[in-house]
Amino acid sequence: MDWHEVLVQQSINGLTRGAVFALVALGYTMVYGIISLINFAHGDVFMLGLFVSLTIFTLLGMARTLVGWELVTILPLVFLATMLGCGLVNVTIDRLAYRPLRHAFRLAPLITAIGVSFMIENLALLWQGPAPVPYPDIFPSVDVLRDWVGLDTLVYLTTKDLLVIGVTAPLMFALQRFVTGTSWGRAMRAIAQDRETAQAMGINVEKMIMLTFFIGGALAGAAGLIQGIYYNIGTWYIGFQAGLRAFTAAVLGGIGNMPGAALGGLVIGFLSAWSDQYISARWTNAIVFSILILVLVFRPQGLLGEKAVDRV
Amino acid sequence: MTARRVLGSALLVAALFAYPFVDHALQVHTVHAVTDAMIYVMLALGLNIVVGYAGLLDLGYAAFFAIGAYTMGLLNSPVLGSPLYGHWWSFWVAIPIAAVVSALLGVVIGAPTLRVRGDYLAIITLAFGEIIPVAIRNMGDISIEVGGVKLVNRLNLTGGENGVNPVGRPYLPGVPFETDPVPWYFLILIVGAASLWAMNRMRDSRLGRAWMAIREDETAADCMGVDPIKTKLLAFALGASFSGFAGSFYAAKLQAITPGAFEFNVSIMLLCMVVLGGMGSLKGVILGGMLITLFDRLILAQMTFLVRGAGRSLGIAALTTVDLTLWRWFFFGLGLTLMMLFKPEGLAGKRVRAARVEVDDAEEAAAVAAVAPLPRAESIPPWLRDRVASGLSRDGAGGPILEARQVKKSFGGLAAVSQVDLVIPERAIVGLIGPNGAGKTTFFNAVTGLVPPDSGSILFRGQSLIGLRPNAIVARGVARTFQSIRLFQNMTVLENILVGEHCRMRASVGGAIVRPPSVVEEEARAREHGRALLAFVGLADQADELAKNLPYGDQRRLEIARALATEPQLLLLDEPTAGMNPRETETLTEFIGLLRRELGLSVLLIEHHMEVVMGISDRITVLDYGSRIAEGTPAEVQRNPKVIEAYLGKGYEAELARA
Repeated sequence: MDWHEVLVQQSINGLTRGAVFALVALGYTMVYGIISLINFAHGDVFMLGLFVSLTIFTLLGMARTLVGWELVTILPLVFLATMLGCGLVNVTIDRLAYRPLRHAFRLAPLITAIGVSFMIENLALLWQGPAPVPYPDIFPSVDVLRDWVGLDTLVYLTTKDLLVIGVTAPLMFALQRFVTGTSWGRAMRAIAQDRETAQAMGINVEKMIMLTFFIGGALAGAAGLIQGIYYNIGTWYIGFQAGLRAFTAAVLGGIGNMPGAALGGLVIGFLSAWSDQYISARWTNAIVFSILILVLVFRPQGLLGEKAVDRV
Repeated sequence: MTARRVLGSALLVAALFAYPFVDHALQVHTVHAVTDAMIYVMLALGLNIVVGYAGLLDLGYAAFFAIGAYTMGLLNSPVLGSPLYGHWWSFWVAIPIAAVVSALLGVVIGAPTLRVRGDYLAIITLAFGEIIPVAIRNMGDISIEVGGVKLVNRLNLTGGENGVNPVGRPYLPGVPFETDPVPWYFLILIVGAASLWAMNRMRDSRLGRAWMAIREDETAADCMGVDPIKTKLLAFALGASFSGFAGSFYAAKLQAITPGAFEFNVSIMLLCMVVLGGMGSLKGVILGGMLITLFDRLILAQMTFLVRGAGRSLGIAALTTVDLTLWRWFFFGLGLTLMMLFKPEGLAGKRVRAARVEVDDAEEAAAVAAVAPLPRAESIPPWLRDRVASGLSRDGAGGPILEARQVKKSFGGLAAVSQVDLVIPERAIVGLIGPNGAGKTTFFNAVTGLVPPDSGSILFRGQSLIGLRPNAIVARGVARTFQSIRLFQNMTVLENILVGEHCRMRASVGGAIVRPPSVVEEEARAREHGRALLAFVGLADQADELAKNLPYGDQRRLEIARALATEPQLLLLDEPTAGMNPRETETLTEFIGLLRRELGLSVLLIEHHMEVVMGISDRITVLDYGSRIAEGTPAEVQRNPKVIEAYLGKGYEAELARA
């Protein structure tokens, strides 16, 4: 491969990776926006999305490459079921572990979230075992550029890449419309600004927080499914690493800011793919976390966020 | 110390001493496990300084453990060709080096976190905690190639994934460190006891109070003279150095270190120990550490054994293969969650959650009226009189104490304060009034260093305050209170006052631990001063009460007393009578007058109660939309048409001027 082909290839990888990070990052950013909590267990809901969808495919007897009409019936249905399941898991986590601590001292919910994350990870470990679990090749993979377009290139763009973009972009667009264009979305933004005033204006705050957790969990579930389809493998601990990268994406974009989360996800996706190629995959985590530190220290409001000031 | 406590301590020491021999006699072989547990307890105690005292949630604490262990590994192992290895003194020399290296890295890692707070800080430490093991893994095999030229080829700095093995053991003549766990037990017991002793002394010192003040309210601590940067870095450095100690013992005892031993899991297990026992409580952390290690190494294994036995005898096949030790991290997670939900103060900690019970207004007013006599001139603590007086010019006719010229501060495009002049003569009470949002508090913040003004000059006794941190401004003699009370809620009333005295005390870390006579004397004097001050403001009986348990009026008075404890020459009061009933307001007005009359204190007062401001102030400055619209004596200001317009709107000037 020529150097420019390598760059294009890694950028495609970065784009698909980034799209998954962005979906997960949206859940972090929405929850942080509304109750100022880093939902540490969010990455693990993403991991659950992978295993829940795998279980559904297996139960349906569809743990194989889908063909023809199955792609437009089974696949969307499994997407919906996974999103519903993960949304409900996230809501349950909030009800049981975070809601009782809404007025506790500030670090209490974060410590609780870490505890929940450990529980989910280790339940998954017991459920799926320590070894990587193969995920069936659900979506047919076609080399788009060579087989469809007829370009003579070594750059490998597949139908799976298109699927990732085809799922994530509409989801993000729909979410943005929901938050800016509906009364529920307006209520959520109002709570993010000032919970007490929102309550005084007659908004059912707990209901909206529940909705936020549901949407965040559903997006993470969709991301987990995509991860499984794309990489054909899953392990119990992927939630931690992916969660941290997605959180980095949310912070980079400006935590609490939804377009920021999408942008941050893409940036982290590109950077990690390039780092894998040009530095060494061994150092990629260190590089991503260094970015996290640098952003938090020098621009805590992120790329698109607004600066918060301590009120006296 | 009572006879009972002496007896208890003697019994504890005897039990700790006898334990390995009893263990040996009974042939139960638990000394190894207990010694390892003690290493983790030491780590947890170090983490407690950072999380429990200073309130900085550190999710990457295992990184310091790794740094301690690897320092020992690199200095004292044949694997990487350490020149120190093979001497009888190697271990003993490597230990303090490991502690110092860890402390230095604690500062390096702590430094970037100083600008952020709360959960952001937690995430930064987590990121460092992730980076360090990655770096250790990768530094076992470094190759750098630039343009076909190999600059570094397969350099091994850390042993990579394989780690370092073996590590040199300690040597003492005749002591079998190689074969027997008992010497290790005693070595770590001694070091652990010394650490505990040091931590205990630090907690009850100027430094310990500064940590807790930062934990409770960093901005308020800064405004009371505590340097948050120094204080936080010290917490990181000291926490890390204990961890470095523990890490180096761990490396030498285990004889092998691998990067996998310092992952996020370990940080969380240590956090579990601290949370289970009770953040900030030494006894609690020891208890938590022991319980968790016991649970991890004994109970889970025994339970597995029991469950399998039950499975066999009941004929349930599924139970016979259960391995509960695989569930350990699940239980740690569950433990963290349950503790936070049901007992956030930990098994042995002080209760931190209970909020102050709201008292019925009338009842509270009655209570306050009953316990709040007018402060009297005779009860002014003599030391306060002396200190304030020593700052005053002899004839009482010196230059102005504060001189602010053309001060300007904008937020975004909005000018909160623009071109404001304000001069406070010595021994004067100056009122600063204006409608809500006029920029009064912003002006306060500019004087006290919380927000840097965009332009203009602020001189205190002729010296510029611009660019100084709030704590440095307090040290020069400017103290303040806050519009919304900002006490250190979970500290006692006396401790709040002692934090105020922080910048007038000198004790260092070493002093706090060793306690030479000068430090003992300083501490005793500070407490005596604090009690006298509390007696003066009428809070003597509540000295040991938590600040959050005081009724509202008492909290206001405590805040002023805390400001007085910094020995100020200029006192800035931000709406001191807000929320007070007429009776309390009258008492407080009286009190402010007394401070000026008796002590010669200058006061800048933001106040909405017009009878208070007009009655007490020598001069009044009126702000509106960030600009000064009037300045003069109360009578002049009251007649000023601009002021009347700002407060009441147009059309009242004539009417009021007549009246």
